[in-house]
Amino acid sequence: MEKESTTPLNWTTSSFGMEIQPNDLNCAAADQLPNSFFNPNWDNSVDQSDPFESALSSIVSSPAASNAAAIPGRECLMIRELIGRLGNICNSGEISPQTYVAGNTTTNNNSTNTSGYNTPLNSPPKLNLSIMDSQIRGSLPINGHQVPFHPTLAPFSADPGFAERAARFSCFGNTNCIGLNETDFPYGLMPGMEYGKMSNASSNQQFKVVGSQMGVQENNKQEGNVVVKRKFIRLPRPSTPENAELGDSREGSSVSEQIPGGEVSTKVDSDANARKRKSISRGKAKETPSTPSAKHQKTTVENEESNAKRSRQDEDAGNEKDSAKAKAKADSKAAGDGNQKQNKDNSKPPEPPKDYIHVRARRGQATDSHSLAERVRREKISERMKFLQDLVPGCNKVTGKAVMLDEIINYVQSLQRQVEFLSMKLATVNPRMDFNMEAQLSKDIFQSRGALPPTLYPLDSVMRSIPYGYQPQQMQALHGGIANETENRFPVNSLSALSRNNPSVQLHLPPMDGYGEAVPQVSAPWEDDLQSVVQMGFGQNQQQSFHGSGAAAQMKVEL
Amino acid sequence: MNPKRFSSSTRPSTTVKSRFACGFLRALWRINRQRRTSTSASSREICRRYLRVKVAADVSMASAVGSRRAWSRAILLRKLRNQGQNGTVRVRRMSNIPRMRKRNICGNKCTEEVAGTCQAEQLRKLVPGGEEMDMCNLLGETAHYIECLTTQVNVMRRIAEILST
Repeated sequence: MEKESTTPLNWTTSSFGMEIQPNDLNCAAADQLPNSFFNPNWDNSVDQSDPFESALSSIVSSPAASNAAAIPGRECLMIRELIGRLGNICNSGEISPQTYVAGNTTTNNNSTNTSGYNTPLNSPPKLNLSIMDSQIRGSLPINGHQVPFHPTLAPFSADPGFAERAARFSCFGNTNCIGLNETDFPYGLMPGMEYGKMSNASSNQQFKVVGSQMGVQENNKQEGNVVVKRKFIRLPRPSTPENAELGDSREGSSVSEQIPGGEVSTKVDSDANARKRKSISRGKAKETPSTPSAKHQKTTVENEESNAKRSRQDEDAGNEKDSAKAKAKADSKAAGDGNQKQNKDNSKPPEPPKDYIHVRARRGQATDSHSLAERVRREKISERMKFLQDLVPGCNKVTGKAVMLDEIINYVQSLQRQVEFLSMKLATVNPRMDFNMEAQLSKDIFQSRGALPPTLYPLDSVMRSIPYGYQPQQMQALHGGIANETENRFPVNSLSALSRNNPSVQLHLPPMDGYGEAVPQVSAPWEDDLQSVVQMGFGQNQQQSFHGSGAAAQMKVEL
Repeated sequence: MNPKRFSSSTRPSTTVKSRFACGFLRALWRINRQRRTSTSASSREICRRYLRVKVAADVSMASAVGSRRAWSRAILLRKLRNQGQNGTVRVRRMSNIPRMRKRNICGNKCTEEVAGTCQAEQLRKLVPGGEEMDMCNLLGETAHYIECLTTQVNVMRRIAEILST
């Protein structure tokens, strides 16, 4: 997993538990998708939600409505601008936005209602901005893919300042609204809940991403992520709705702690994170009072959130179920519908790695590249063996590769022998001059023909009845049999007895009258022993002549 | 080689069959024309003709398949070499030979792990060009080769039937 590129910064300073959850969701999305996406989640905080909602003013009116928009990578720039403006706003201090920049690798969901940029009022806005910008920049190169944008603005949309901002970012809002609105509505009043779920998974992923930034960049990240996810899930669940917020804040703080460690190596000072944490806690306390207009909505939102948290567990279970279904879809990043995206998100957290790592080492298996490649190779071989099994008759019953290889070898040999025999037969047949024309006709015939000609079949049966041996031996046997029939020149083999008994051989023998000599010659190149027996004196050229088309000429010269 | 291409390309189509039939019939016709000129029907003559027919069958099959497959390439290359020994054609050294040689090294190593070495070596000898393939390719080529051989046998059998009647 190379998610190093993704730079998700989780600022879990959200005053509301809701905010934290969405952040988590974003993170999860990031993990699944290889490409880092920018999922700026707009927390429930009034400021951020407003710009987005303004576009979706109708939606905004409903407190629960959250705007989810899948933003293509180009809009990342827009996000930057938004961030910068938000930072300005933060400076003004009117609004307490918690900046949430989640570098989400997943294109699908960033459906986090609150997880936007939550900059607590107390927190210095510029720091957030700088961090966010850097993060954004880092994420931008990767952002070529769609950036899912699910800012859930609903609760705080009422603020006037947001409306202005929203006007500025109307383009943003437009993009944002499409997916999330749809998704949110079906859920009705409980948007926060689902988002919360999503957020949990996503947060885990974000942590992973952070870790990757820190240079951890380990293949084992996924496992670690899973663990992290579990933690998050656990924490919010037990908490009562009100407590849940606290728990979320705690989680957020923990997240922030982890993040600073990662950031230290990269960009941000731990101090800034600490400030942010503080600001988060403050922000919670302050935000609720500070934004009176939003209070009502907030309260509603909180209730919803609490409900959402309560229902989280249920939803989580459901998510896992959904994940199995969504696995197939996980690959398609571009999927447009927000609903689908959400489903994907739900599904993704449990099994993000499969899409990108085709070969996974199970427990106890070596993970180095050599053993992985070896495993791939073995799988390939077994696949082809299976294919061969279908081709070779009688190979289905056989188990074991060695035995199967024997069967295959025997079959190939028998086929080659059949070709030799047929070519012999063709050479002996007295061709008519209209041969070519008839052949043209026959071509069409044998294409459609399914059954073997009855006259020839006994011969084939003889060929097959001959125990699979090596080519030279078989040839020897066959020729021996023929020779016996014709000239009694060779000792009788068991095989020859077979051929003798077979009427078809008898049929063929008459045209082959002169073969006593010819047959051994033919067989000579295959078997050295035969050469000694035959003593035709052809000597050295036979090998070459046999293989080459010019063999005939050489033979002729010698003869 | 992805499985899709593998499965699709290993199944010789009817076009391969018809192409082989055409090519083989033409070669057969040429051989028989020569024989007609030389009226002697001695055993040596027949043996010589047998070898020619055999080679013609192999080569026409390989050319019908084309150069996509390693085994058909090997047959065609062998034919070219033999012609070169006769002095009729100068063999052009194929550029991909050293690369395949290199693969052979690891192929031998891998073979020992997967299946008995002796079986793999036998298979290598049977499949044209198999000496230069690793186990994966060897199995794939074997599958295709078997299918082509079956079609070849069917066509030749049919031709023989028609000619003999």
